[in-house]
Amino acid sequence: MERRRLVVVLAALTGVLALVVIAAIFLGSARLSPADVLAVLTGRTDASRTESVVIWGVRLPRIAAAVLAGGALAVAGAGFQGLTRNPLAEPSVLGVSSGAALGVVVAQLMGPASGVTDALRLTIFGFAGALAAGVIVYFIAAAGAGLPVQTLVLAGVIVGLFFAAAITVVTSLVDINRLGGIVHWLLGNVSAIPPRGLAVFAMLGTVGFWLIAGQARQLNVLALGEEAALQLGVNAERLKLRVFVGSALLTACVVAFAGPIGFVGLIVPHSVRMVVGPDHRLLVPATLLGGAIFLLVADTLARNVVAPAELSVGVLTSLCGAPFFIYLLRTRYRAGL
Amino acid sequence: MLARAVLLASIIVVATAPSAWPFTVADMGGRALTLPAPPQRIISLVPSVTELIFALGGQERLVGVTDFCDWPADAKRKPSVGGMISPSLETIVTLRPDLVIATDSGNRQETVAQLDRLRIPVFMVHANRLAEMREVTARLGILTGRETSVAPLVDRFDARIRAVAAAVAAAPRPRVLYVLWPEPLIVPGRDAIVTELIGLAGGDSITANERNDYPRYSVEAAVAHAPEVIILARHGTGSGPIARDKWDRLVSLPAIKSGRVHAVDGNLMHRYGPRLADGVEQLARAIHPEVFR
Repeated sequence: MERRRLVVVLAALTGVLALVVIAAIFLGSARLSPADVLAVLTGRTDASRTESVVIWGVRLPRIAAAVLAGGALAVAGAGFQGLTRNPLAEPSVLGVSSGAALGVVVAQLMGPASGVTDALRLTIFGFAGALAAGVIVYFIAAAGAGLPVQTLVLAGVIVGLFFAAAITVVTSLVDINRLGGIVHWLLGNVSAIPPRGLAVFAMLGTVGFWLIAGQARQLNVLALGEEAALQLGVNAERLKLRVFVGSALLTACVVAFAGPIGFVGLIVPHSVRMVVGPDHRLLVPATLLGGAIFLLVADTLARNVVAPAELSVGVLTSLCGAPFFIYLLRTRYRAGL
Repeated sequence: MLARAVLLASIIVVATAPSAWPFTVADMGGRALTLPAPPQRIISLVPSVTELIFALGGQERLVGVTDFCDWPADAKRKPSVGGMISPSLETIVTLRPDLVIATDSGNRQETVAQLDRLRIPVFMVHANRLAEMREVTARLGILTGRETSVAPLVDRFDARIRAVAAAVAAAPRPRVLYVLWPEPLIVPGRDAIVTELIGLAGGDSITANERNDYPRYSVEAAVAHAPEVIILARHGTGSGPIARDKWDRLVSLPAIKSGRVHAVDGNLMHRYGPRLADGVEQLARAIHPEVFR
């Protein structure tokens, strides 16, 4: 029964994702006619033609990056929510994105980001920053008993502000010519990632996804409370560590490749939960697909609404995410606050 | 070693202008670039470069510019690929360029890396000195097939600069604070072309020895240098001098006491185009009004 539901939901979401990907391939500032796009996709266009370069060299790599980043952020959000049993936990709310961003900014100053080793360096620094921010937030919030909703969110906001300030310190010291680029990156932008970078992103993302999805059953048990989890034979500490590392890794990957894009980890898991319910075995994979759909839609809007100029997708997600956060606060969790 | 030999060889090639294509040229970022034929469809991601290409008469080969390429007026009629920081890759590809000209100060490395990946040749330029601006002009002359226009353009330019320098040679050199941006205070450092222009216009920039091209600077340090002339850059046509009152409040500064606060058109100072000569003349009139009465 459960298995059947999983298959139906995932198949439906995969179908939606496929439709969105197809729409994204057809839309862009280059204004290719549908016939041109079809000719390219069916291999009837010479690879050196402009249309071919636009599709294979520009649009598809960017679509792939948006799909990966959206899925990763949404799963990271679901992971943080399951781990803290806090519905408002999310990489940007928890300050983990800011921690990762500081790591990546520092790594960016060490040299250009072009090859695979550079991509790895950015991710490793981002990962270190994400871990540091997460640990600090945890210790601030856990100082009292348990992890109260409001304390965790407050600790996350404060730590996020601290890391944002640290980023400002670093950027005040750099040459003004590079400042524009860093500020642009800090807004959160999906851009075409070279194939090998994309492979690194996908591999690290898979590890992060596995760390969370592999613990889906235990996360369900943890939702009943830590004591209940202990009685049911779940090692809560080890579980939380695994899920935390996985969520931080996913966040760090996205920040390294696309900058800190906020609120995807809040909007998507909640929307998905409304449809499929709180069971992590279903929620985590559905969130992966939902995140991919959400960010791809947002990025397709970002690159089309003011073409040939582009918006930063992070700005769009925050425009949706902040009101969503308020909505969650006002409607669902008023009692807890 | 080999790389250096190639570089040297290509610089010689540039100096003598290619007699036969294909030819390899070292761009100003130190990268060797081989062009199979004279480029016919050039995209400029740099307003300074756009100005120079128009001044050389090579605009027919210019198929794309940025939103910031606003001079000459005809430049605004060229298709735009977006801003300098985030140009639309897709629009660039659609314009089928055989050469994109970019800079390491103002464009992002990521943009260059993406163009490399798409195998679109990128020629990097930069100019922190007038000498480098002349070099950029020479290379753009070759790339646009307007080699013969280079010498007349540079000669006219140099003649105007020499005239200004001669006019102010005998005058005392006041201490000048040049304000690129008021909040936070951004000033020209030792690698900014405007620092050199201030010198040519007969002033001593108080920030001439600061690191980098456009560093942040503390107001306190600026006040401590007791500037005798303050020059505020205007950005964009029609905009007034920015945050002038911020300086007017510092009544004890020599520049304020003597009312020597001037606004200049920043585009004439910060872009290494043909209008730098206008920039030097504007600066000289601001620094030495007595000479140009």
